[in-house]
Amino acid sequence: MRDRILSIAIYGLSTGIGMIAFLYPFLTLSASGETHGGMMGQAHTGDAPLMLSVLVGLCFVVLLLEVQGQAVNAKFVALLGILVSINSALRFMEVAVPGPGGISPIFFLIALTGYVYGGRLGFLMGALTLLVSALITGTIGPWLPYQMFTAGWMGMSAPFCRSLVRLLHGEGRWIELAVLAVFGALWGLVYGAIMNVWFWPFAVGPSEQYWEPGIGLVETLRRYAAFYMTTSFIWDAMRAAGNVLLTLAFGSATLHTLRRFQRRFVFTRVSSPLYKDERLPGVPDAPRAEARAG
Amino acid sequence: MIHPWAWVGWVGASLVALSKTRNPLHLVLMLLSIAIVNALVGFRAELSLTPVSPLRFALFVVPLSAAFNALTVHFGDTVLLRLPAWLPLLGGPVTLEALVYGALNGLVLAGILAAFTTLNQALPVRALVRLIPRAFYPVAVVTSIAVTFVPTTMRQFQQIREAQAVRGHRMRGLRDWIPLFMPLLVGGLERALGLAEAMTARGFASADDPEQDVRTRAAVVMGLVALLGGWLLRLAWGQEALGLALMVAGSGLVLVTLWAVGRRVQHTTYRHEPWTGIDWAVALSAAAVLALFLLPGLNRVALFYYPYPSLSWPSFDPVIGLISLGLLGPVLALVRR
Repeated sequence: MRDRILSIAIYGLSTGIGMIAFLYPFLTLSASGETHGGMMGQAHTGDAPLMLSVLVGLCFVVLLLEVQGQAVNAKFVALLGILVSINSALRFMEVAVPGPGGISPIFFLIALTGYVYGGRLGFLMGALTLLVSALITGTIGPWLPYQMFTAGWMGMSAPFCRSLVRLLHGEGRWIELAVLAVFGALWGLVYGAIMNVWFWPFAVGPSEQYWEPGIGLVETLRRYAAFYMTTSFIWDAMRAAGNVLLTLAFGSATLHTLRRFQRRFVFTRVSSPLYKDERLPGVPDAPRAEARAG
Repeated sequence: MIHPWAWVGWVGASLVALSKTRNPLHLVLMLLSIAIVNALVGFRAELSLTPVSPLRFALFVVPLSAAFNALTVHFGDTVLLRLPAWLPLLGGPVTLEALVYGALNGLVLAGILAAFTTLNQALPVRALVRLIPRAFYPVAVVTSIAVTFVPTTMRQFQQIREAQAVRGHRMRGLRDWIPLFMPLLVGGLERALGLAEAMTARGFASADDPEQDVRTRAAVVMGLVALLGGWLLRLAWGQEALGLALMVAGSGLVLVTLWAVGRRVQHTTYRHEPWTGIDWAVALSAAAVLALFLLPGLNRVALFYYPYPSLSWPSFDPVIGLISLGLLGPVLALVRR
């Protein structure tokens, strides 16, 4: 119980602070009412960039520390290591032969891994795929922590699809794939939208699309929508379409394989009614149902 | 070889310096310093891991950034041409000032990419993995496994492709990738099982004290609560000093907890990387650059340059120029080799 409360507190606080941190530049600079040059949205001053980096960085390391707490058994580590290597190899191929727009093969495996193996493994799968692929493709940059955090969120949120699939009685049916395809499509767009937010408030450009101090939340959202539609939507829509196509084409076989190996990697110990009924005198009850990894 | 942490310091200093400078004279000086280090590292690198050459990226991004800014920001006195007003977003005067400011932003982007490209070329992947803090030991193990298995995975993919080709498999559509992808996934997962058995046989396991784990997590929660509280104090109630103090305390608690977790991890070093005099030189020159750009109270007016409304000649501060030459620190080691 104590573990659970601590876990919920860490997940809630780190995810919540991380999400709001992406919006921090709007909040802090709006509050201070700074203006710069009048015509262009230019917010280079203040502590917003540093604060954004510190807050997102801290939330990320805390979440990583909490999530990795479950990763200290050999099966989990080996499974994750190999899945990350497969996904990184896919990204390596994508870098060598880029697909159209933002299409990338990595997101579909992150979503399916999170969906089958749970949010913790999904988070690590997303974050570490981006880290390892950046290491092997030589694309480490200031954008990497944000990419890791966002891809981690994608993997961590994938288990939410299970409830929807159960609600629709879609397990093992086409509905399951449809739900995952919609999830992939949404994250294809959300990933790009989040990745824009870390630099958008500090970028300079036409006033209809860029942020200016004191413009208010509604106007900020309107301008961001205009910026997003102009610069990112087509790119992200291609990514979303790619996620849908890959999920529909490979989803069924991949889910089947991941589940088959889940049974080999994760076992469940349950008390046997037979054992209970026919127990020998003096032998205590078998332990209560308990599920754990390896 | 320069110590990985000295390289990290150099990249950090480059990043801060570039992101805070828009003065073209100072910017060009910094870019030249980074370019020299990049060229020396690239010359000596055994294996190039850069998908994009920084020079090629600069040749692409500087004109693109200049054109984008000039076409979308219709502000400035020196009008080069006028686009019809009925063109959405693009309609209006195209000015020299907007063109210059866009080019400066492009130069900053090119410089940031060059600095990180240098880091990628200078350090082998193993050295980068070793930079992961000890507190994230399981993450480091997973990363090591993944990095180690990527070449195996690529080789396996090649073998599967050849085997399928021998059977007459042809690639016509997306679903034709299934006979390539699924054996790759299944083979990888089988390898993971074998690896897990080998790791278990060699005693890879956790023996954490549950009470200590609870204390660690409680400290992290307290740190996050302090961080959030301080943040709210600053934002909602305008309590700058108190809010900042709480935020610093919360961040400190989280970092100390991470350090304590790292201390609990026992590790052995196969090959010790010594911290030499050259590393001191690189780190101190990077620290001087960082101090120049971050310490309060220093005169940094020369770093700012704003071409609007009329283009003017930028100023140049020789002291700032001299200190920013600290970015040439790695040259000492690279030339000596």
